[in-house]
Amino acid sequence: MKRALISSTLALAALMSAAPAQALTQAEVDAVVERLDVRQRNSGDYKALAYIEQKERGKNDLFYQSVFYRRDADDKLMILFLKPKSEAGKGYLRLDKNLFMYDPTVGKWERRTERERIMGTDSRRQDFDESRLAEEYTAKFIGDEKLGKVAVHHIELKAREGQDVAYPTLQLWVDQETGNLLKRQDLALSGRLMRTTYYPKWKKVFSESKNADVYYPEEIHIFDEVEKGNRTTVAITEVDLRPLSENIFTKAWLESKSR
Amino acid sequence: MGFIDTTRMLVLLAFRNLFSHRVKTAIVGMIMLFGTLLVVMGTALVDSIERAMEQSITASLAGHLQVYSAKGKDQLALFGGGFMGADDIGRIDDFSKVQDALSKVANVEAVVPMGLEGATVTAPGELEGALERLRVAVRANDKAPLATLQAQIKELLQQMKEERKVSLTITTDTKDLNEQIAKLDEGLSDALWARFEEDPLAVLEFLDTQVAPLAEEGRLMYFRYLGTDVDLFVQHFDRFEVVKGERIPPHTRGFMFSERFYERVVKHRIARYMDRVNESLHEEDLTIADDAGLQSLIRRSARQHRYITYQLDAKESAQLTDELKALLPEVQGGLPELLAEFLTVTDENFDARYAWFYAHVAPMLEMYAIDVGDTMTVRSYTKSGFLKALNIKLFGVYRFKGLESSDLASGTNLMDMLTFRELYGLMTDAKKAELSAIKDEVGLKDVAAEDAEAAFFGEGAGEVVARVDAEGFDEFADVKLARTETVAVDRTFTQSEVDHGMALNAAVVLKDRTRIKASMIEVEQALKDAGLDMKVVDWRTASGLVGQFVLLIRAVLYIAIFIIFVVALVIINNSMVMATMERTTEIGTMRAIGAQRRLVLNMFMLETMMLGVLAGAVGAGLGAGLTTWLGAVGLPAPNRQLIFLFGGPRLFPEVGASNLVAGLVVIIVVSLISTLYPAFIATRISPVAAMRTEE
Repeated sequence: MKRALISSTLALAALMSAAPAQALTQAEVDAVVERLDVRQRNSGDYKALAYIEQKERGKNDLFYQSVFYRRDADDKLMILFLKPKSEAGKGYLRLDKNLFMYDPTVGKWERRTERERIMGTDSRRQDFDESRLAEEYTAKFIGDEKLGKVAVHHIELKAREGQDVAYPTLQLWVDQETGNLLKRQDLALSGRLMRTTYYPKWKKVFSESKNADVYYPEEIHIFDEVEKGNRTTVAITEVDLRPLSENIFTKAWLESKSR
Repeated sequence: MGFIDTTRMLVLLAFRNLFSHRVKTAIVGMIMLFGTLLVVMGTALVDSIERAMEQSITASLAGHLQVYSAKGKDQLALFGGGFMGADDIGRIDDFSKVQDALSKVANVEAVVPMGLEGATVTAPGELEGALERLRVAVRANDKAPLATLQAQIKELLQQMKEERKVSLTITTDTKDLNEQIAKLDEGLSDALWARFEEDPLAVLEFLDTQVAPLAEEGRLMYFRYLGTDVDLFVQHFDRFEVVKGERIPPHTRGFMFSERFYERVVKHRIARYMDRVNESLHEEDLTIADDAGLQSLIRRSARQHRYITYQLDAKESAQLTDELKALLPEVQGGLPELLAEFLTVTDENFDARYAWFYAHVAPMLEMYAIDVGDTMTVRSYTKSGFLKALNIKLFGVYRFKGLESSDLASGTNLMDMLTFRELYGLMTDAKKAELSAIKDEVGLKDVAAEDAEAAFFGEGAGEVVARVDAEGFDEFADVKLARTETVAVDRTFTQSEVDHGMALNAAVVLKDRTRIKASMIEVEQALKDAGLDMKVVDWRTASGLVGQFVLLIRAVLYIAIFIIFVVALVIINNSMVMATMERTTEIGTMRAIGAQRRLVLNMFMLETMMLGVLAGAVGAGLGAGLTTWLGAVGLPAPNRQLIFLFGGPRLFPEVGASNLVAGLVVIIVVSLISTLYPAFIATRISPVAAMRTEE
């Protein structure tokens, strides 16, 4: 009996010491999430060159080169595929809450859902779009943890009511030192884990319009948790913050590129 | 006593015994008669089903034999394979090699290349469709349809606005609705349409991206298709028949819907609902009053009247309103209320309203989302992994004669072989090299999920944020984008292009279908001689589970026959044992005056055999008569699955000599076996026993 008491006291002590020494307050958690958005946002236009690699079990590995254009102030996004040849000219256009896809070989647009797998890969529109975590989700502090060697804050996000997001629950692991997002898990409504994403390297460029740095992940490694073994990697190799042409976020512009 | 005398005596004795034990003879005889009747009719029916199914399968998709690569992981299953993610049955890289090899087999009439796959096509929503047509007209600088299209778009926007106004009165959350109404108002404004004259693309941009998303989304339809050499297919699969439009012309790219798919999926939603109710009431004998499923279908249909109103212009709306008011004078309200009431059908009024719908409403509607002559955009994931879309012309609608209402035979749509190959999209060496070059450009490290954390954030990782200079880049410097296809969708090709290319499997049509087994061996040999590693299967195996269905029916029949004959055997045996006991004196006396045991045995056996032959003959005759009668009137297929097995809506069974022989042989064998034991008892009766009984 005595021994049991001692061991349970010890266990309790161990639990207590494992708990965060200083749990983040709600305001601090919100600030961490807000900072993720603010750092990645540019007040002006944003253009990036991205490679997408898709590995699926039992299938050929696929590679794409794409360019994506963002005008964060207007919630506009365009993804245009450049390589391989068969895919060149295909593209996605996001205007407000609508996502459209264009295929130049048939000259047709199609409206797609928020859950669209971009070109059939594991990437979603949001992986290329402006980070709007604070607007779309409410945050909750889970604990301080270690991710490999790195000390991180573990934060859970739940979708705000009325927000059309691809995943209703997210788990984030944010670097305590740099404030960068390192790992993210996307969960379905049922609580089932759908994707795990890692952002091992971040880069920043100075934006004149923002008069501050704009951060972007150099690599995004997305692992499919439903179809184990499937993974998509996005590598951003170039970023350009110069203003884009005014009419770029239109169907007509994308169509004109392949005419 | 000689053999003839003995036999004559035995026959006479058998007759006498059969006659003197009339009740026993009648019971045993009836059992034998019924047994033979069952064997004759049962086997005749199953044989007929097998023949009919062979017709269904061979004349619709399979041919008599199917050949496909031996490298595939799965078995070919024409009627029961996977969908979208179709089974892996390997590939025939060069169909002409198979064709050449098989042209040497004398009994081969034709070899038809094939491939079964799945794809999707989207039927646009009403507004999206109208805007797309407007865009096509603007692009082509075609002024003729502009006025009509503008009127149609405005009518749709007006209706959408009215719906939202109604919603405003029943909800407290009005922000979204008011925003939508504002956008619709802008779409309806004269200013916008005035601007259309100067800058049509800008106006289309607004309507496409701001207004169209407020309307109903397009309908995504999954379909299964057979890619084939359409000319050969039509020539050798004689159940093929065109119902609407025309067949895909020779050597031309194109598509045909199967009638069943066209009616069940592509047709106007409300018409499909009406057809479903009609079918349930008249084919399945359901009633609306008793069937919850039907009631729910009707409620849904009544709520979806806007699928009708969206398609009407102002004049048509007014006309339909007047006609419906005359039909339903008690209903208050406008067209939506009238339609909702009209579509709320009951068992009593359904037939009249169904007829009225097709006479008055249907002619005003676009009955099919994709009409014959239209170009449709088909999308599919290719085998290389990329998403492929292509435009293809719908030439017509077809069916397999007699199998119209079988879901199984009629689920497959038809496409030319060249389009099939494009959608199939093999990974070529050139493409592999292109992808590998893209991969080398970026040089990503390949990290598996389980190693990710250690690789990214372990020892030596944990990189600080790097600052880079954004110098800007030109994404179009070394890239040429694809060009929108401007060539005609129904362009032609040569026979050589069809033959010298890929197929998944090939159907072999034989000249003499009775020689399937022998031809299969010859085909196998011819392929082997040509150095082709391929599997050859008959139509039954090729059809997948469906083909095994007759085997199942046959097994059930044989088990039933077996059980009945076991029972018959016991009954015959018992009654014969009792008869033997009754005849102890007689047999003892016979033995006493010198009859051998063998004679007694023969007497019993002959007695049963004569009864067996007699009852069997009557049973077989009756069975043959009944089957022939059924063959004349036809046995109706009680459900859609059976239509396929019956080769049409009715089965016309035929009785063959084999069925009669089978019946007689079975009954005689059973009779003899069941008499063995009583006859053996009889031979054991000694003369003494006979006398003892006498005492």
